[in-house]
Amino acid sequence: MRDAMKMILFVVILGTLLSAVILVVNSYTAPRIAKNGELTIKRNVLEAQGIRYGQEDLEQVFDQNIQVVRKAEKTYYVLKNGDVAFEFDGNGLWGPIHGVISLQRDLQTIKRIMIIHQEETAGLGGRLAERSYLGSFDAKKFSPTIEIVNRRKAEKDNEVDGISGATMTSKAFERLINGQVGEYVAAYGGG
Amino acid sequence: MALQLKKLTYTKTFRILRSNLWKDHPVACGVLGMCLTLGVSNKVANAIAIGIGFTFVLVVTAATISALRNLIPKRARVIIYMIIISSFVIIVDRVLKAFFPALSEALGPYIGLIITSCILMGRLEEFSMKNNVWYSMLDALSSGLAFGYTLFLLSVIREFLGFGTILDVKVTPTGWTNWVVIGMAPGAFFVLSIYLWITRTLAKVDPMKTGQLHG
Repeated sequence: MRDAMKMILFVVILGTLLSAVILVVNSYTAPRIAKNGELTIKRNVLEAQGIRYGQEDLEQVFDQNIQVVRKAEKTYYVLKNGDVAFEFDGNGLWGPIHGVISLQRDLQTIKRIMIIHQEETAGLGGRLAERSYLGSFDAKKFSPTIEIVNRRKAEKDNEVDGISGATMTSKAFERLINGQVGEYVAAYGGG
Repeated sequence: MALQLKKLTYTKTFRILRSNLWKDHPVACGVLGMCLTLGVSNKVANAIAIGIGFTFVLVVTAATISALRNLIPKRARVIIYMIIISSFVIIVDRVLKAFFPALSEALGPYIGLIITSCILMGRLEEFSMKNNVWYSMLDALSSGLAFGYTLFLLSVIREFLGFGTILDVKVTPTGWTNWVVIGMAPGAFFVLSIYLWITRTLAKVDPMKTGQLHG
């Protein structure tokens, strides 16, 4: 019994001490991590809106060109000519997919899609994040939705070719992008 | 007496280094830490980051365990290893996220996987629980470096063949075709097994004879 008490006491004390150390490290690194996240979003918004920037003047370029608009608790990054970009978030096949999409003024035509984070199968679904694939979404239209087609070639202006060997990821991404863009465009007051 | 003691120290230090870095190498002989070895040896930058992070975690946990070895209740020791290892791994993860965000994103889940590495548990159980802080740190440092240099060698071969780059700098001539498979998961098995074959032959290790065949 005494042994058991000693054991529990030891684990509790050690656990408390180490938690304290982690708390200190966390409070020191948390602001930097938050800042890194913010910079990642800004970098991807600029890329999606097709604005050139350097490593040093990223924030300056962002402030000069992008107007941050908040509507119905959603954040929009609007360019002077009316092109709108926003973040999208949702489930892929294996894990969350997070990225930024920019639409032209008509809120229908895709300008560019950026993927910030995905956990799809490397070499198959993971190719979703490659520029050569994402490029096939450029200038496609949500009329009324984007369709990722698998068994034939994409023909209409709302059709995009799927990734061979990654039908499930393609389907998940189609659902994700249509749902998110629909929601954001409706809240923005257009579409 | 002092001289003899010094000589003895020298011998033990030397034995630890030789055993960990070459003769009883954790990867080449023990076939430990496979998850990380196969997973992060695709790029040199990843290998260096994991090598340093891993060595850091191993050295500090070994020092902590060794300093507390007479206090640690024997029956709860594995839980205590886990608590200490995971705390330091969380610290490494936070520091990478704060100061090297790109690297942290590239390594993904592998930083967390340091916790489950058999090399850590093996060294703590086998060595740190029985030896003083100095030797435990030496043992941990040499095991970490042994793991690190193996990762580094494997990643140089894999990044060169698989991506045509070293540390993301293009080194292959134009017209070179990447051996994509080497950069992907199956390539890790090919390169690792050839590496094991070569190092075991050079170190004259035969696990079938010495009974070291364990996963």
